[in-house]
Amino acid sequence: MTRKDNRAGQSNYSKRIERGGQRTEKFERPSPERTRAANEVGSAIAHQLNGPLTALRLYIGEIRQSSSRFRETAEAQDSMRPMVEAAFQETERLCAMMRLIADSFEEPLYPESAAALGRDVISWWSRSGSTEGGGPANEGGPAGAASFALLTPREREVLSHVSQGCSNKQGAIRMQIGPRTFESHRARVMRKFGARNAADLVRMALGENVVTP
Amino acid sequence: MAALQLHDTERMPRLARATTRILVIDDDACVSTAIQAILARHRYDTVLASRAHAGIHAFQASQFDVVMVDLFMPGMNGLDTITRIRSKSAVPIIAMSGFRLRNSLDPDQDFLGMAILRGATTSLRKPFSPPQLVAAIDRGLGLVSSAERTMQ
Repeated sequence: MTRKDNRAGQSNYSKRIERGGQRTEKFERPSPERTRAANEVGSAIAHQLNGPLTALRLYIGEIRQSSSRFRETAEAQDSMRPMVEAAFQETERLCAMMRLIADSFEEPLYPESAAALGRDVISWWSRSGSTEGGGPANEGGPAGAASFALLTPREREVLSHVSQGCSNKQGAIRMQIGPRTFESHRARVMRKFGARNAADLVRMALGENVVTP
Repeated sequence: MAALQLHDTERMPRLARATTRILVIDDDACVSTAIQAILARHRYDTVLASRAHAGIHAFQASQFDVVMVDLFMPGMNGLDTITRIRSKSAVPIIAMSGFRLRNSLDPDQDFLGMAILRGATTSLRKPFSPPQLVAAIDRGLGLVSSAERTMQ
């Protein structure tokens, strides 16, 4: 929750590294867990954008196609056609950007994490990705008081670390478990809460007074 | 649960003539409504479902020529939906997703590739254009699309 806590986590972390052992090796890579977390948020945004963009591309494409068939006055045609054409070009540009964004997420994936991430993202969205109404857990999912009761003791512990601002790595070290395990606990907690991302989860957890400030 | 979610299914008024019927399963209403609007102009009859269960229910209750499935949905995801439909029917299935999350070492990790492995007939990457949409449906129906025709 505070910078101080984070520092405490960091120093534990470096102590552990100094002590050496097999754990150290796992953390040497430039933090794939962090990258994954960033990707989760990025891909969630990309996912959100994709729907409206798809709809826009369909509508504009069809408008452009059929506007040439409209029997309008020459004057109306002259003024409308450049605008329709411009709207079409802008939409195509946005869609091209969207493709770049979606593609960029494949870069940092290692073979073993790709499948896991795929499953995570799909199940995460399965739980929380409703785009109707835009809010999380608005499909009658278990939000609020009920959701905390659904958590296992292990998951509550994970939630409390996440709420205190721990990264997956820091939380994993505190709990003396692997970062992957921590992350899968975290993913389950998020699913149970119907949280879209870590920030969302913390907000919900704070709302439930899981974390005493 | 399934009965409740049936409310998510809505029928478009049938055209006077029997036409190709397409079931669109996508939780994003703005996408499925746009698909419906475009396909109506091409004289396709569409039924929309915003959840996998509602979609499967609609599929079992009626006859469809093509099923379009979004891969990311709340509740049952698109991949499992494809498996479920494929286990019961040989209907052409079009998988839709904006995501690839592809791993260069293993192309099967591509979501759309995974959908094909699960039995989808073809795939459509979002955002797609009206010609791409119609071409995918033609592909699903085993027809040569108009774009391919002009190339020949």
